Amino acid sequence: GVAVLPAPQNLTVLSINMKHLLMWNAVAQLRETVLYSVEYQGEYESLYMSHIWIPSSQCSPTKGLECDITDDITATVPYNFRVRAMLGSQTSAWSTLERPFNRNSTVLIPPRMEVTEHGLHLVIKLEDLGPQFEFPVVYWSQEPGAKEHVKVVKSGDSPVHLETMEPGAVYCVKAQALVKAIGRHSAFSQTQCVEMQGEALPLA
Amino acid sequence: EFRFGPCRVEGVVLSELWEAFSAMKSTVQTQDDITSVRLLKSQVLHNVSDAESCYLVHSLLKFYLNTVFKNYPSKVAKFKISKSFSTLANNFFVIVSKLHPSKDKDMLSISESAHRRFLLFCKAFKQMDTEAALVKAFGEVDILLTWMQNFYHL
Repeated sequence: GVAVLPAPQNLTVLSINMKHLLMWNAVAQLRETVLYSVEYQGEYESLYMSHIWIPSSQCSPTKGLECDITDDITATVPYNFRVRAMLGSQTSAWSTLERPFNRNSTVLIPPRMEVTEHGLHLVIKLEDLGPQFEFPVVYWSQEPGAKEHVKVVKSGDSPVHLETMEPGAVYCVKAQALVKAIGRHSAFSQTQCVEMQGEALPLA
Repeated sequence: EFRFGPCRVEGVVLSELWEAFSAMKSTVQTQDDITSVRLLKSQVLHNVSDAESCYLVHSLLKFYLNTVFKNYPSKVAKFKISKSFSTLANNFFVIVSKLHPSKDKDMLSISESAHRRFLLFCKAFKQMDTEAALVKAFGEVDILLTWMQNFYHL
């Protein structure tokens, strides 16, 4: 009988900080380059027009065993994905993701940040995680009784001036990643503290 | 988030909807050659009170999901606008699923007022040839988004 090209197996999605990667196992074919084609449908398509599947913008076709599906997911609803293998004129059956993927399940990890002092100014530089992110930044002086201050830094606004400070004082900062599109935020980053140069002014 | 009076909807980024519609606007609107008719006319969308807005947007978006978008796939594939169409349809789906217009009796007059506006839209839609009406309604999504923008808060 005619050899049938096996379908890719073990489809999974790895999603960290709203970057979504669909992965699957290779279809082994001796000394041949197998291509893969990825398609998706959102909840609307699956409910109202289940025959409609949309080719992934990045991987139709691809040689790799993974596909960046970030740009394909543009709503906070469950998405179905399917992959098939192609070798010359042969195409395998479709393999479908076992459970639909919803971007609200992405793993949110705190942003990398760099806290510096410029003269007497406390400045924070935050990792660019994309337009969907905002960063609640909490900062405080280590003076006894000092209050915490919060500033929300929009994506792309970094670096940001947080505060003009007292010479000789120590200021600490921590930040978290917030995504309104899914209504969730990460844990806080590790706290970073900097000491302002110069001597504390003697009390008059 | 959207605030249609008492109805709140989070998790939808309005700029994503505009981006999606803008990507297909010229393709969609050039299919509509009946320029003398407007479905979302001013009597439907102007001076809508906050209290009415939840009822009206719920009716309009459900109509788009159940009638306009549902009957549009043949064009979607033909014009290669699947991705943008999917973005719009799935985000409208999210909004409708999060809208819960009040059923209180004391809101009856307000819901009826919103319903009269919606019926104006439906009447205009039904007076047209179905195919032409679908094309026009789809082309008027920018009018709908412009109105919805009034209720969007960053």
